[in-house]
Amino acid sequence: MIARKVRTLLSELRPGAGTLDLTRLAPTRDERLFLVLSIFIGIISGLLVVAFRVAIEWIKILTLGSAPHAGQYRLFIVPAIAGLIAALLVHWAFPAARGSGVNQTKAALYIYNGYISFKTVVGKFITAAIAIGGGHSLGPEDPSLQIGAGVASIIARKLGLSRQKLRLVAPIGAAAGLAAAFNAPISAILFVIEEVIGQWSAAVLGSIVLAAISSVVVARRFWGSQPMFRIPAVTLRDSRELIAYAVLGVIGGFVAILFSRSLGYLRPRLRAMPRWTHIAQPAIAGLLVGGIGFMGFPQVMGSGYGAMDHAMHGEFAWKFLLALALFKLIATTLSFSSGTPGGMFAPTLFIGAMLGAGVGSFEKLFFPHLTGTVGAYALVGMGVLFAGFLRVPLTSVFMVLEVSGNYSIILPVILANTIAYLISRAFQPVPVFEMFAYQDGLDLPSLEEQREEMPLHIEDAVQPLGVPVAHGKDTIAEVAAAMAEAKVSAFLVQLADNSWYAMTVDELTTAAAALNPETQMEQAVKSDRVPTLFPDMPLDNALPYFPRWPLLPVLNRASKGKLEGVISLNGVLKRYQSF
Amino acid sequence: MAVTETHAPLSTEERAEKRKLILRDAIALFSLFIITVALAVLTYSLFASFTRHRDALARRWKANGERELSQGHPTQAVDALRSALEYGPGRRDIEIELASALAAAGRNREATAYFNSLLDAQPGNGQIHLDLARIAAKEGNATLAEEHYQRALDGTWEGDGYVRRRNVRLELAGYLISRKDYTRAQAELRTASGNAPNDPTIQLYIASMMERAQDPMDALNIYRAQIRRKGASVEAFEGLGRTAYALGWITTARDAMSAATDTRGFSAQSKTTRDAVRQTLADATRILDLYPSPDLNVRALATRVLHAATIARARLSGCFVNANASGEMANLLNQWDQVPVKLSVRALERNPQLEQTTMTLVYETEQQTAQLCGAPTGDDALLLKIAQAPLAVRQ
Repeated sequence: MIARKVRTLLSELRPGAGTLDLTRLAPTRDERLFLVLSIFIGIISGLLVVAFRVAIEWIKILTLGSAPHAGQYRLFIVPAIAGLIAALLVHWAFPAARGSGVNQTKAALYIYNGYISFKTVVGKFITAAIAIGGGHSLGPEDPSLQIGAGVASIIARKLGLSRQKLRLVAPIGAAAGLAAAFNAPISAILFVIEEVIGQWSAAVLGSIVLAAISSVVVARRFWGSQPMFRIPAVTLRDSRELIAYAVLGVIGGFVAILFSRSLGYLRPRLRAMPRWTHIAQPAIAGLLVGGIGFMGFPQVMGSGYGAMDHAMHGEFAWKFLLALALFKLIATTLSFSSGTPGGMFAPTLFIGAMLGAGVGSFEKLFFPHLTGTVGAYALVGMGVLFAGFLRVPLTSVFMVLEVSGNYSIILPVILANTIAYLISRAFQPVPVFEMFAYQDGLDLPSLEEQREEMPLHIEDAVQPLGVPVAHGKDTIAEVAAAMAEAKVSAFLVQLADNSWYAMTVDELTTAAAALNPETQMEQAVKSDRVPTLFPDMPLDNALPYFPRWPLLPVLNRASKGKLEGVISLNGVLKRYQSF
Repeated sequence: MAVTETHAPLSTEERAEKRKLILRDAIALFSLFIITVALAVLTYSLFASFTRHRDALARRWKANGERELSQGHPTQAVDALRSALEYGPGRRDIEIELASALAAAGRNREATAYFNSLLDAQPGNGQIHLDLARIAAKEGNATLAEEHYQRALDGTWEGDGYVRRRNVRLELAGYLISRKDYTRAQAELRTASGNAPNDPTIQLYIASMMERAQDPMDALNIYRAQIRRKGASVEAFEGLGRTAYALGWITTARDAMSAATDTRGFSAQSKTTRDAVRQTLADATRILDLYPSPDLNVRALATRVLHAATIARARLSGCFVNANASGEMANLLNQWDQVPVKLSVRALERNPQLEQTTMTLVYETEQQTAQLCGAPTGDDALLLKIAQAPLAVRQ
């Protein structure tokens, strides 16, 4: 009733769209609203993510029991039923809830002008909670990211923000959702920048930070502020121990490729099967995942954070740890490829943690002089898989630091993550989320490629000074004589204050006709000046000035007024054509 | 840049639209605020309900774990406590119990790793240091064990910190005794006794540990103090008897053991204890029968000296046959040669100097034969006991 009245009032107050210019009425409205909304987006996303995680836990306890263990028949049945229910809901009610949520958020940004429907948010919440709580080997982080993005999209639409702002708002919500799910604001911000936006954009950075912090504050109000995993401080007594971490990086890189290729192989084949099988696939995947749990590895079911904690405290033998890593890889490939809603982050961390703890336990067994704890190796392993599989190197480093609250591990993490990232890139050119996008028929921008593009700079198009340089004290007559001799169409004028002016011969002729030939050039030139350009600036920066100026001087940063050369429109275009 | 300066002023219609726009945004933000509050209330209710359920599960699994641990099933306790921890993440009490269960299950490496990670969060936690000390002790790492025991003593304890610290000190003393580091064990026990209340159970326990730490004197003082209390226990008398006997205070030992056998609780004790008490009482009585006390009359004294000389000579002869003659043995034989072969009571009565020389020779004989021919038995053993502190026997 109240909501209806508010809606009516809002529609009555809606400014006459199309007839009035909002930028004229309130030119700073969007910017100001954007910041305020970021906080609301963060808080609401945080609350929804908390509710989402609670829902997952409730479903898990109610269906799998409070302490699931191998040999319980319910482990077989529950994931299958959960998969079937989730599939039916996705098929009949929430088709956009399929998948992890990362590509859907990117699609909202790049294709749908920031649009994510309310139905998608609700669907993602319900279906992912059923699937993960029911034991499917998937995580809650990517769905949280999409829920956050959806919340942001809904709020921005209701507030009537401009299309440009609508597009930008989805990543803000995504950062908020991910930050609340991970209790890690920096990682969430970096992930959104690395994987969703692809660049450091000042337009949204402040809003992303505000939203991420707001959501983490909310999440911590419920779950506490302690880091997700606790390990003792890592003391690298002998730098040779880094070799052991490097070995982990190499292994992690190849496992990331195996994981990526498993998904790349199975997912399109299952999607290509007849449509009616899409409903059965999550159920069959659930049966197989449940079978893995029933046979002795219940740790692979669900997100698996408890098992990760146990692995970090050295509670499993190395052979069991490696078996867990392998079975989790299989279980996640089955669950995700079948189209069950759920995320890839937690399984990636799980495989990495088991791999790291396994390698750490093995190395401790056969090289007892190594001082790193199993927990340290497990944490580094998490980062390694994150860097190698998701291909977000910067996020992977900060993620490890944030989930452990332990800075002392930084060196091993950077080394191992870099190795894993480079190996993964070398053998698997297409990152996994891009691969999923291609499989889904979407052509989203490759942010990894964008990051590594080498933009042209002014120095790439600069030419030696081939035109005469006149001075402000020279008279029009002197300059006109010089230009007639040089036979050029334009030239530069250096003025007394070391500023520059680029003048065409036509402009000089006009000035000569209007003024006394003895007039100094300082009086002959117009009041504007050529922009100050330096060789290291992006070449794009120069383009807007060519309609006004025939050529542009390029100056030296160290010596004021000293010319490095000039650039012309033709030269710039030629440089772009040859790039 | 003052951008607005270049704009034309707003028309009346535009100003009205702007006011509408501001009002609309204000209402929208207020609605958003209401929605946020409603969602927060909903999430709080859901979370509170979930937390209650989770706490109940944590309590249930914790109780299961504790039961399994007390019943000697540490492996099952580990599983139960892990489940408890899943529903009570970050709960130190469960984490410490889980680590203790891991240690009890013999998974020392895992337990140590777990404790160390806990210690990272609570560097001064006395219980964690105590558990780490126990693991280090079990693994034979004495330096680390003692270091952790010391940190446990200096660490923080919840609630009954005073009692827990005393227990840690007693455990440390026990560990030092097991490593035969008696001097440090004695020091710890003296501190524990000084800090402990005058509770008979505690004081008697400390005294018994002092006996194990080869500190009978301090133990004797505690037993005496306890006996002075009204309604002293049989354990106090027995302890006094044992420590007095160990110190060679045979009169006190006999009196204490005699009193112990007369005390009401004596019959309730185990047969082994009762037999030990009776044996000590018999030995003490016999020692006093053998002891040539200066309080005796001249004849009785001479008779006891002669009897002791006869026993010692027989012991020396037996030992001489069985052992190789060494320098000490030859010296001893020479000394006995200077004692008249037909020593009589009368000769001894007349010559107190001879009595003293003979008894000195008896004590030396018993001590040296004990070293060369092994521990003596019967009256030889009792004479050896006297020889260790002849003047203390009367105490």
